[in-house]
Amino acid sequence: MGLITEKLPALVEPVPGGSVLLSSLDAVINWARSNSLWPLTFGTSCCAIEVMMAAGAARHDLARFGAEVTRPSPRQADLLVVAGTIVRKMAPRLKLLYEQMAEPRYVIATGSCAISGGPFIYNNYSTVRGADEIIPVDVYVPGCPPRPEAFFYGILMLQKLIREGESLRTPGVRRKPVLAALPAGITIEQIQQELRELLEPQGGRR
Amino acid sequence: METHELISAVQALEPAAVPREKVDRAAVVAPVERFLELMARLRDEPDLRFDMLCTHTAIDWIAEARLELVYCLYSTVHRHYLVVSASVPREAAVMPSMQALWPIAEWQEREVYDLFGVRYTGHPDLRRILLDDDWQGFPLRKDYRDDFMLEGPK
Ligand code: SF4
Repeated sequence: MGLITEKLPALVEPVPGGSVLLSSLDAVINWARSNSLWPLTFGTSCCAIEVMMAAGAARHDLARFGAEVTRPSPRQADLLVVAGTIVRKMAPRLKLLYEQMAEPRYVIATGSCAISGGPFIYNNYSTVRGADEIIPVDVYVPGCPPRPEAFFYGILMLQKLIREGESLRTPGVRRKPVLAALPAGITIEQIQQELRELLEPQGGRR
Repeated sequence: METHELISAVQALEPAAVPREKVDRAAVVAPVERFLELMARLRDEPDLRFDMLCTHTAIDWIAEARLELVYCLYSTVHRHYLVVSASVPREAAVMPSMQALWPIAEWQEREVYDLFGVRYTGHPDLRRILLDDDWQGFPLRKDYRDDFMLEGPK
């Protein structure tokens, strides 16, 4: 069972013989997109162990957010998680993979390396100083590496971004990139509480 | 073999070999002349039998204008390790290739050539292995600079 962080923004109208669902197409599409993110398997170094493997494994279980179906092909994926260091030789491949993904596509940059070059920023001949030098990034998740909780926080931020973002009239229009930074020492319960508040629309439909 | 036995065995083969201080595995510094012969005997002596080259790498001692080439050997027969190193001058870094003794040395030496610029004599295919073929310079040398690099705060 997935943990759907927001119910479908719709109205169930009882009519004789059953009921009809009233909603806007934008809301349904964005709701569906945000709850079924398919990430591309793209881990280039240590961050991949934390955010792709540990986050996907049973203890943290990325499947709760509908984002566990990692795809080996960019054609089938809609979320690119840049998990790790991007070197100059890798940069053209990353750009190619991004361009091969079908719209709408989203990018999360996890870890200092993908944000800024991290520990390899100075006196280094090989490391690109941030994934956003190559491709547009939607959510930044800081850490070296970020814990799976921090990564989930990033995923949920992205879900929120998707829900508020595009509409049929304005395809491709996105909110500004966000930094999903967790305060130090925070626990998973606190995060879940905070997320519940964050994701719950005013009035609490949950 | 224990560490001290290994070191005396190496010194019996090469009297000029100096054991390293403060190491947790047997490690010797050997002169670069007769190095290939020494390595061949380390591989073939029945009670040494270093039949595996785990790692080959280099250290740039820029202040002393030398490159130290480090070979990490392991014996699958006797299960002991030995680290052998030799120094070559930085500006004329030439070393005999170990490729005939351990075939894996071919790629390991290509990597050291790629990043430190050591020329291996007798190597069958000395090309860059990690960097692009048209790369200028050897980036793991301490004095390497290029336009892409960002100078760190002092
Ligand atoms: S940010 Fe840290 S953990 Fe992540 S890839 Fe870079 S060095 Fe590794």
